[in-house]
This record gives sequence, C-alpha cells and structure tokens, in this order.
Amino acid sequence: MFKILVVEDDKELNHAVCEFLSGVNFETTGVINAEDAFDAMYRQNYDLIISDIMMPNIDGFEFAKSVRALNENIPILFMSALDDFESKRKGFSSGIDDYMVKPIDLNELTLRVNALLRRAKISKEKKLTVGDLTLDAEEHTAYLSGNEIPLTVREFNLIYKLLSYPKKTFTRTQLMDEFWSVDTSSSPRTVDVYITKIRDKFSACKDFEIVTVHGLGYKAVIK
Amino acid sequence: MKNKRRSSQRSSLFSVERYILIFVFSVIIISICIFIYEKGGPFAQIFRDHDSARFFFSVSVLGAIYTLVDYIRRKIVVERPLKRLTKATDAITHGDYNVHIEPVDGLRGRNEFDDLINSFNMMADQLYESQSVEDDFISNVSHELKTPLAVIQNYATMLQSDSLSDEKRREYAHIIIDYSNKLSALITNILNLNKLENHEMYSKKALFNLSEQLCTSILNFELVWEEKEINLETEIDEDVFVYSDEELLPLVWNNLLSNAMKFTDKGGTVKISLKKDKQYAYVSISDTGCGIDPEDGQRIFDKFFQCDKSHAMGGNGLGLALVKKVIRIVDGDITVTSEPGKGTDFTVKISLLGNNT
Repeated sequence: MFKILVVEDDKELNHAVCEFLSGVNFETTGVINAEDAFDAMYRQNYDLIISDIMMPNIDGFEFAKSVRALNENIPILFMSALDDFESKRKGFSSGIDDYMVKPIDLNELTLRVNALLRRAKISKEKKLTVGDLTLDAEEHTAYLSGNEIPLTVREFNLIYKLLSYPKKTFTRTQLMDEFWSVDTSSSPRTVDVYITKIRDKFSACKDFEIVTVHGLGYKAVIK
Repeated sequence: MKNKRRSSQRSSLFSVERYILIFVFSVIIISICIFIYEKGGPFAQIFRDHDSARFFFSVSVLGAIYTLVDYIRRKIVVERPLKRLTKATDAITHGDYNVHIEPVDGLRGRNEFDDLINSFNMMADQLYESQSVEDDFISNVSHELKTPLAVIQNYATMLQSDSLSDEKRREYAHIIIDYSNKLSALITNILNLNKLENHEMYSKKALFNLSEQLCTSILNFELVWEEKEINLETEIDEDVFVYSDEELLPLVWNNLLSNAMKFTDKGGTVKISLKKDKQYAYVSISDTGCGIDPEDGQRIFDKFFQCDKSHAMGGNGLGLALVKKVIRIVDGDITVTSEPGKGTDFTVKISLLGNNT
C-alpha cells in the first residue's frame, strides 16, 4: 500500500482528505505543520506528499524546497486556495509535481495521486510497461513480447513521454520543446513525421494507440 | 437651465475690461477726494485752518468708499459661488454624492467660478454613478452567493433525516456537491473580475505564440467534448505570434469555449479558427447551440446577465463580463453573431503588434 503524508493546518480538511484516501486503499498520515511533517518523514518513508501552502511558520514553498533538497524523487502535490499564476509558478519552481486549487474534488485528487505515483514508479524503475510492451529508459530500448523494436533516441523519448501520461494530449509544440534543441529547421510538422514513424514501428502492438486529437496534438491511449 | 440668455456670455474675472473699470473707478474716487480737499464745499469751512486734518479726512473718505465698494464686489462675485461650493463639497465629504450646484451667472455672463462649479458638478455626477454601480454589483453578488448556499443548507438539513433511502441520500449529497462547485466557480469569477479592475494598470505585453495558447486552452475541454460527443472542428493557423497580454487572454478563450460547450447539445459542433491578416489576428469560436435572442443583444456582456433566466444551465453570468473586460484591457475587439436555434459565433480581433484597434 502506498503511504501518503498530508500536511494541512485546517484540521477538518486534513481529516477529510486522510479519511477519503484511506477509503481508496492508501495508508495516510495527517500533520498540521511542516515541522511535524519532517518528524513524520524521519520516522518512515512516504511515497507521496500532499501539502497546503499557507501554513504557520514554514510555508508550503519553503517546505517543498527543503524536501526536494533531501529527496529529488518523491512526488509533491500542492493543495491551496491560491488560484493565481504567480503562486503556481512559485510552486513548480519549488519542485512540486502538481497543483490543485481548493475546494478540491476528492475524486479528482485520487486520480492525480494515482497518476503521480505511476510516474514516480516509472521514473524510479526507469521502466514503463504497457501490456506486452516494455520501454527501458536506461537502455533507450523497446521490447514487444521480448523482441526488441529499434528506435532512434527522439522516437524513444516521444513514445516514452506519451505513454508516461496516458490519455493526456500534448500539442506538437509541447512535444517539440521537450526533445528538440533550439533547432530552427524543425517545425511542428516534424513531430507529425515522427509520430507516423512510431505508429508504423508499433503497428504490431495492440496494447496502446496514438490518437491524433483534432489537429491539436497527440495522445497515447491504453487499450 | 434657467439663465440661458446669460450663459452664452462670458466675463472673465481677469479680463482687461474689469481692470479698466477698476482704474476708472479709482480715478473718480481720488478726484472726488482731491476736490473735497481743494475746493471744500461744506467741509471747507471746518477744515480751513487745519491742513493735515483735511488731508487725513480726504484720504479716509477715499479709503472708506473704496473698502465699501470692494466689500460689495467680493460679496457678489466671490462669496456667493464659494459658499455654494463649500456647502456641496462638505456634503460629499460626508458621503452624499447626490449634490448639484447652480452656476452663479454674474451680470455679464459666466466667469471662472462658474467653470469651477461646472467641473464640480461633473465630478459629483461621476462619483454618484460609480457608487451606484458598485452598490448594484454588491447586491447582485450577495444574491448570487445566497442562492446556492440556500440549496446547500436545505439539502444538508434533509440529509439529517433518519428515514432516508440510500438513493435519496446519494441524490441529496450529489446536489450539495454540485452547488458547492457552482459557488466555487462564482467566487473564482468574482475574484478574477476584481483583479482585472487593478490589472488594468499593470497589463504586461509580450510576444507569444497565440496558436499554441489557443490549442492548450481548447485541450482543457477535452473531457467535456468527449463526454458530450461534440464534434470539434479546428482551423488554426500555425505560429501566429502576437504582442499582447499572455496571462489574460486565456481567460477569454476558456470562457468562450466553456460557453460554446455548455450551450451545444450532444452531437453538436464547436468550431474554432485562428486566422490573421497583415495587422490583426482573428479568433473565432462558434457553436451549433441554442443561440442568443436578438433582444438580449449587447446585454450578454453585462455582469450577472444570463439569457437563460431560470439559470438552469449552471454558470453565473460573469464569464462574458470578464471577457469584455480583458478585451478592453488588451485593446482588442469582440463581435457576436447569433441565430436562435442555429448557433452562435464569437470573433475576437487582436492587433498583431499591440497597437490600438
């Protein structure tokens, strides 16, 4: 069972989140400030942290930065009433992985927590598995039912990204920004070419599909 | 206005005319006094042997006459308008903006005091108007906030009942969640609208990729169009760069898209296009929804106005007010065309280089 630490100074809200997440099979611990959070983290390892921003003494931003200094990988999700761009920017600069605005939908929280845990696992093991397909990030290779599928570095990165965020649509520009250096000869059209090649190479794989979304971008859908 | 025959005339307090009058008057007074001194009249006998007394007497008479005339002049020209102004400004400092001063309109027409009075009247009018707009807004907001709260309270009360079926319990809980979300959305919009009032001064312009921003905004609604089985048509020119406010414009796209998706039925179509010419970028969002009544016209941009009077579609009437505000801040333009029963199209025009449209 995954262990989640909830850092939130509003006791009712803290309790609600902990209870709800326990109900969907997480082991939750609730603390009301950052100092108690550090204590809890010394006592045991957690798989994910959910934290408020506005807290007494040490605020969420400081807390996240401190956690990141000790642990580069643990997913951190902010839960805050602050809805402005500046707070979000500051949050992501402090090293968080996701940001939700209060009042939060507990079901949505669960979805996001699961997505974060999945990505953390992929990034920890450096391996992604979808049905018969395995992508190995260390070796930059793809195996379908044990057989290797040859991919260029860019092709691998593209498919790895798409499968790390299943059902999320990325625009061509977003995909380009990740993997292309500032190469003026590349245009979003280049991404189209790569996607076609990838589709071709994975045509034998029935476990997923790359969907073109209305000329807006691409997403990987797991079947 | 009562004194129309005088109001077209103008007589400045500082005109050459007035100074000539003062000069002539002074000369007359001094002449009379010198005459009294020289020729005497009835006073000559009394002062015959006392030169300095006579001199002093003449000068005093001159001084007294002059002071008297000045007193009368000031009372008419200066004190009257000043008293009116003081009384009115005092009312304003006590919060009463509903004041109006009558111009004094001197014998020879308007002067600088009347100008002051006119300006004052205009300022009072503006203060009064903005106060009532604010009052309206606040009372509208209170009403809009209380309505969902009332529903939440009622259903929560009903949930306390012991004899509730599982199905009813779920239904009531669902309604409470639904209305809490509506309340949350309303508060977000009010805060955004309020922030915009201040943002007007701090709008930042930068060069950015509008095509990319539009695509990202559209993708925010992916789940919505999939769930409602809405056809999406996009005709977005690539790499359209504009020099404008990158943070504010998504508010426009998100609101227009939200409306398009909301008012289009299952199986309908929403079309988004981005085109440009030499000077402007044109973003068009159209739907095949219920359309807008021509009678509602420009009022759709008013705060809290909703075409659907029963508020059945959810939404809080502030979205388009927000859109209009942002468009004004970025010096853009927005046009609406609609046919009830057929659909609606919103087209936003933005200058590519950030100049005024």
